[in-house]
Amino acid sequence: MESLFDQSSLFLQQLVNGITLGGVYALIAVGYTMVYGVIQLINFAHGEIYMLGAFLAYTLVAVVGMPFFPAFVLTLLICAVLGVVLDFVAYRPLRKAPRLAALITAIGMSIFLQNMAMLVWGSQIKSYPRDILPPFFSESAITFGDVSLSWLQLFILAITLLSMIILHLTIHKTRIGMAMRAISQDKTASALMGIGVNRVISFTFAIGSAMGGMAGVLVGLYYNAIFPTMGYVAGIKAFAAAVLGGIGSVPGAMLGGGVLGIAEVMGAGYISSEYRDGISYAVMIAVILFKPSGLIGKQNAEKV
Amino acid sequence: MSLSPKNPRVLFLAILFLAVILPWIPLGPSTNYLLRVLTSAVLYMILALGLNIVPGFTGLLDLGYVGFYGIGAYTSGLLAIHYDLSLWVILPLAAANGALWGVLLGAPTLRLTGDYFAIVTFGFSELVVLLIRNELWLTRGPMGLPGIPPPAIFGYALTQGWQYFYLALFLLLVVLVVVVRLENSRLGRAWFAIREDETAAQCCGISLIRYKVMAFAASAAIGAMGGAFYAKWFRFIHPDMFKFWESILILCLIVFGGMGSIAGTMLGALILIPLTEVLRTALPQSMFNARYLIYGLLLVLMMRLRPEGLIPFQLSRSRKAEQAKARLLGGEE
Repeated sequence: MESLFDQSSLFLQQLVNGITLGGVYALIAVGYTMVYGVIQLINFAHGEIYMLGAFLAYTLVAVVGMPFFPAFVLTLLICAVLGVVLDFVAYRPLRKAPRLAALITAIGMSIFLQNMAMLVWGSQIKSYPRDILPPFFSESAITFGDVSLSWLQLFILAITLLSMIILHLTIHKTRIGMAMRAISQDKTASALMGIGVNRVISFTFAIGSAMGGMAGVLVGLYYNAIFPTMGYVAGIKAFAAAVLGGIGSVPGAMLGGGVLGIAEVMGAGYISSEYRDGISYAVMIAVILFKPSGLIGKQNAEKV
Repeated sequence: MSLSPKNPRVLFLAILFLAVILPWIPLGPSTNYLLRVLTSAVLYMILALGLNIVPGFTGLLDLGYVGFYGIGAYTSGLLAIHYDLSLWVILPLAAANGALWGVLLGAPTLRLTGDYFAIVTFGFSELVVLLIRNELWLTRGPMGLPGIPPPAIFGYALTQGWQYFYLALFLLLVVLVVVVRLENSRLGRAWFAIREDETAAQCCGISLIRYKVMAFAASAAIGAMGGAFYAKWFRFIHPDMFKFWESILILCLIVFGGMGSIAGTMLGALILIPLTEVLRTALPQSMFNARYLIYGLLLVLMMRLRPEGLIPFQLSRSRKAEQAKARLLGGEE
């Protein structure tokens, strides 16, 4: 009986870890999904915004010496600006070009930013200073048998959930949210109705990038390791999450992130830790092959 | 064929001529180094010609080309070590294995839109690297696969740098003939039709999925053959050699040279691969590791400023038609 209990508490602990990881994937996935919704482009450079978020917060805290929470907010703002600049510099001139050109540009920007980070911060793994957060963050917040949820995990989950709710309300209750939904349906008609299409696209990039940057900081805190190539693996996994949930749908991105996070942690724990990343790729390929409209079907999902 | 230097064929012949005499220019001790760079430039020309079939001819972004390159290299390495087969058996087998995986991956995924296809190919190549890295019983994983016997031609094992250079050049010629023939065939015209307008192509009776899978398989076969040559040439292969970066580099070659254009694709490899070697010697190690900064920027700038590349794609037969059109519309131009 006792070993059975250990097994089940291990399982529950993995589940908790998986959900935390899934929350982070969901935050990144939202950026993919929103941009895809409005301009039908896979923004490969989004993973790099996530990586830059992690490094910007690191620089502000460890080099500039800011306290964590102001640095966190400043990082989000910088990431939002970066997203807008990225769109302005790289994607806007290609709005009318063939899709292949925009995709190649996205790949190019991703490679460029990643190597830029490598030049600026070096390719070594960096970690946030130990005293960045109040010490109780690493303690258990909730303990249930052998299963524990640390304050940090709780913080990550809370902030993820909160930003998702704000995002959902923004999309459904505000004018600019309505404009985003309109553009995702028909760009030309939206422009004819007097919507400033480019302004709304910039707004989408700003929101998506801020959330990507947020995910970067949270992962930096959670794993305590940041490196310039962290963006491309996480970016692809988050894209997988977005596809899994149904690309274009924000609740879908959350669902997909959660499922993928759990699948990854469980797979690493029970199948093979060497294939940790492989599990995400395999899930993604399987979903794209068998259900490309995602778990929340395309007809029902709202594209944003 | 006009003999103006703007004609890609003239350019191509000039390059070929240079390539043939280059190994005989006495350069003393650096000859071997030069030969290595040249052989690798020729290898990348082969790879670029193969990749070009998918994004260049058919208009689909393939981010997983290096997966086929890796499959070819490991097929070749393992066959050579365990069965001691001749090069002329290994090369077709590796190409066939590549094509097989191309069909297996392409048949289900090419029904999707181009974006999803790009992502799936990326996932595929990452899975290939993970498999190579973790299936120790087959590939020895991160220890790499050393001791691949050198290729032998008519019983003579190749040992000198120039021999490999000419072997690569021979393979390039074979691939070039195949690709040029494909370009001017019914198959090639179907690919261009798909690239220009899928719906219109379908309305003309072109089976999209069939022709796309053919393009993908042809590209995979050439990539795998390049990998097979690489394994026999370098005689040591390692999973890190087949990472995502290689796909980007090869994509960069064709974007720079001119997507869809055979001469452009080759010129891209001929400029960028030696340039990488120059960077390797000119930059300190830490900065050389970030060389993809330049490639990324190159991709962005090319798409922005000159999306057709150095030598733009032209249908070889449409040139006269274009001239005739220009004469007809002369007044308007």
